[in-house]
Amino acid sequence: MSETTSTTGSLAAPAEPGPADRAAAELDATIAGIEQRLAVWAAETGAALGALSGKVTGTAVDKLIRPVVAELVQLPDGYAAGAGFIANSGLLGPERSYIAWWQGADLEPVDALANFSPNSISRYVKAEWFRIPVETGQAHVTGPYVDFLCTDEYVLTFTHPVFTRPDGPVAGIVGIDVTVQRLERGAMPSLRRIGGRATLVNGDGRAVVSAASDIDAGDLTAPEVPCQHYAVGRTFTVWSDAARL
Amino acid sequence: MLLSPEGTSRSLAAVFTPIKSRGLVDEVCGRIEQAVETGLLTSGQRLPNETELASALGVSAVTAREALSQLRASGIIRTARGRSGGSFIADNVLPSRERALAQLHDLSRLQISDLALHYEAIAAACAGVAARRSDAADIATLRSFIPAADDDSLSWRLALSEFLLEVAAIARSARLARELIRLQADLGTLTLLPCADPDYRTCTGLILADVAAAIEAHEARAAETGVKALISATTDWLLTEQAKRY
Repeated sequence: MSETTSTTGSLAAPAEPGPADRAAAELDATIAGIEQRLAVWAAETGAALGALSGKVTGTAVDKLIRPVVAELVQLPDGYAAGAGFIANSGLLGPERSYIAWWQGADLEPVDALANFSPNSISRYVKAEWFRIPVETGQAHVTGPYVDFLCTDEYVLTFTHPVFTRPDGPVAGIVGIDVTVQRLERGAMPSLRRIGGRATLVNGDGRAVVSAASDIDAGDLTAPEVPCQHYAVGRTFTVWSDAARL
Repeated sequence: MLLSPEGTSRSLAAVFTPIKSRGLVDEVCGRIEQAVETGLLTSGQRLPNETELASALGVSAVTAREALSQLRASGIIRTARGRSGGSFIADNVLPSRERALAQLHDLSRLQISDLALHYEAIAAACAGVAARRSDAADIATLRSFIPAADDDSLSWRLALSEFLLEVAAIARSARLARELIRLQADLGTLTLLPCADPDYRTCTGLILADVAAAIEAHEARAAETGVKALISATTDWLLTEQAKRY
């Protein structure tokens, strides 16, 4: 995942990794690390839910998910502001979802009132972080966006589908919320080593963190020519020199 | 510079204003009222008992109990005793014209116009930044909140507030979004009143389309102007109605 990809312009990639390459590799390790942790959690959750042999209750889900969330959000230097699981309809009942999501070091429950609603699934089906992993069966990163459901902060939400059987329907999703603020602290030293205008962008070219003072998180940007492109995680890129659109 | 005759700064004075001790109870009540208004909880539905509610919302049992009793007092929930007892969402609990009128008559013209000014400042700031940052997906979502002329007043009210929240989401500013949510809470059910008027619906429907087009075209000034027009249409309606009281 950490390959230095295409070079736009005339500069050839150096044979030996330079300081910028090493800095980009660090960023990649951070994002890919979050994605890999989530994939492992999804697999473990699927296996554990499958072992419940159909008798899935809210209490059982809480018991399964909460210790992992506690570990993720309380990890020193960890990136998770919140994390949890949301059941797809069918797992606990038709048209019913179930949210087991907590945020902050003191594990504040998120949207838990929805668990008392008979049509709670309607709350999540339209949300990108739920809909896309359920529809595609693939991991997804949503954002950066203002998260009205949880923190009201500017965040990225990494989500991954959960399967109880390899060929079965999507039973739900696990996800990790990472605030842009937290990511900025981790990413800025690396970006500065890549360049004064180095910018971490999502798949749409929207800035997540930028070393340039005229590019704010949330701005749409484009790579300058020439510019080094570094792949970061599954869908992010660092441009060594970006400009605001 | 002296800000007050006593020589103490006004912002310092604010620090020592007593904090409302009922904050958390009000917060729990607000959540439940909001869940009812957005259709998440419906009339006749059983609410969790106070222990379940306390653990779901991460508050103490005492806070949950006080919140339930406050909701009972304001008619949002009713309680039945016995084996099939418990707390239930009351019938006719949705925001009503009568409640909205009562709220309107409790407010002075000064309060309405000052609240509108604040709302306008925040919403226009959101619109300006949204015009800079919008992409195609944002615009599709935004347009999905434009209500149809024959929707009922409850759905219109909800659509209008969701539309402005989406503008804040497109602006991608957490602070502005939070401020907008707070202002909408302050406005309460007031905005239900103009939504019952077909003329208001026609006028604001056109403004919403203009705002969406301006944000799509990255025209910050036009987006700000449109949002201000939307809020002043609402304020004018409310002030005209409020004057009839005298």
